[in-house]
Amino acid sequence: MKKIIVRNLTKHFVLADGDRLAVIGGLTFDVEEGEFLSILGPSGCGKSTLLNILAGIDDVSSGEILVNERLFSRGDNGFRLGFVFQQPRLLNWRSVRENVTFPLEHRGLSKEEQGRLAQQYLDLVKLQGFEDYFPQQLSGGMQQRAAIARALAIEPEVLLMDEPFSSLDELTARKMRAELIRIWRETGKTIIFVTHDIFEAVYLSNRLLVVTERPARAYECVSVDVGYPRDYDDDRLFEIAKKVSRLFLKMEESHAA
Amino acid sequence: MRITPRLYSVLVLFAAWVILSFVFSPQILPGPIPVFEAVWENLASGDGLFHLYKTIFRVLLGLLLAMIIGSGFGIVMGISSRGEKFFESWVMVGLTIPAVVYAIITLLWFGLNDSAAVIAIGVTAFPAVAINMWQGVKDIDMQLIAMAKSFQVPRRDLIRKVVLPQTVPYILAATRYALGISWKIATTVELIGMSSGVGYMLNYWFGLFSMTQVLAWTVMFTLVLLGIEFLLINPFEKRVTAWRAVVQV
Repeated sequence: MKKIIVRNLTKHFVLADGDRLAVIGGLTFDVEEGEFLSILGPSGCGKSTLLNILAGIDDVSSGEILVNERLFSRGDNGFRLGFVFQQPRLLNWRSVRENVTFPLEHRGLSKEEQGRLAQQYLDLVKLQGFEDYFPQQLSGGMQQRAAIARALAIEPEVLLMDEPFSSLDELTARKMRAELIRIWRETGKTIIFVTHDIFEAVYLSNRLLVVTERPARAYECVSVDVGYPRDYDDDRLFEIAKKVSRLFLKMEESHAA
Repeated sequence: MRITPRLYSVLVLFAAWVILSFVFSPQILPGPIPVFEAVWENLASGDGLFHLYKTIFRVLLGLLLAMIIGSGFGIVMGISSRGEKFFESWVMVGLTIPAVVYAIITLLWFGLNDSAAVIAIGVTAFPAVAINMWQGVKDIDMQLIAMAKSFQVPRRDLIRKVVLPQTVPYILAATRYALGISWKIATTVELIGMSSGVGYMLNYWFGLFSMTQVLAWTVMFTLVLLGIEFLLINPFEKRVTAWRAVVQV
């Protein structure tokens, strides 16, 4: 069963001088239920815009998105969605717990239920003991974990992640990646993960979608048939990463030609 | 820790006052004792409270007016670049015109009454509010709004929980700034055209060449200002900005 189907999606922005900037140029792909799909592409290729569209922050210019065989429209996703951004984007004047309950508060849940969910996911990202801290009292990695807890606490069917570990140091990022895999395996969510880090994409996902430079099109899909939990030093992952790197070079050549 | 330098500064000022009062004659600089005696007499007679009340009343109403007009201008200027261009020069002009001009104009237009005073205060103080609110609206973090939208937070909650808290520091700054301006313009209006209030009393005692009473009214005025700052604005500020980090883990 396909969870999300994206067909011929285009997106352009109208610039201040009236010119059009084409960001996505006819993108087609699909995501299976429970799949961990990474979208990999050069910086500034429209990957973030794609996530913003799926999250209802931006409109599409043309094309369609089907979610569970239903046409997706902005403002009415028809499914629960969690978003982890490149920066934590926490509300600094709320405690960590209140940040996690923030997306729950308008969903008609009781205070107890909100508190229970917040605690459950704060435990999952190992932030127990920091519930009453303010975000600015935490390190960058902890803030990002709080942002992940916030996205998970609404128990999303689909989790969007936009380079969530790119602002962390490599050691912290590695720990977070391993935790993300653990959480994903525990909860079975569909994850769409955007990154420009090839090895990160290979290490994390079932499948990678390589997209071209702006305006983004699907260039190739690569499956990663390596079981979880994965080891950072696994040669099979390196082989796939090398293959993807070559793909990138080929893509750039064809783009230059 | 924070109280000590503050306390020192008050003590130094007081000591300077005492020493200088021995140097100059009481007509020029009376010492603290006769001045505080005069403060006490004014308050005990009920006269002091009446005039203070009149001034506070005008200041607070004028401040309210300035906050309403200033927020309106500031929000429009922050949201739309057309609004910014349209109002910017007027706000700047408003800020440069001497307060006494507004005082005279409103007194001529509205007569020697409280409304004139309130309007003069509102008009004088609003540019300061507008400028702070303008900056506050411009500094709203659009990324947080996108975050809230992605979680499908309804518009009303978005404004209450994401937008307003971000503008609180600017509202506080605007209030403080406008309050300072309001006191100054209030006394000016009272001095020119009112028959009550601290400005009127200052003018009255100026006419009688009583330095002691002029200083006494200044002290009373200052005490009210400090009261408002430390009993109202400061505790509120501490409460709403408690999240500003003190420790990093």
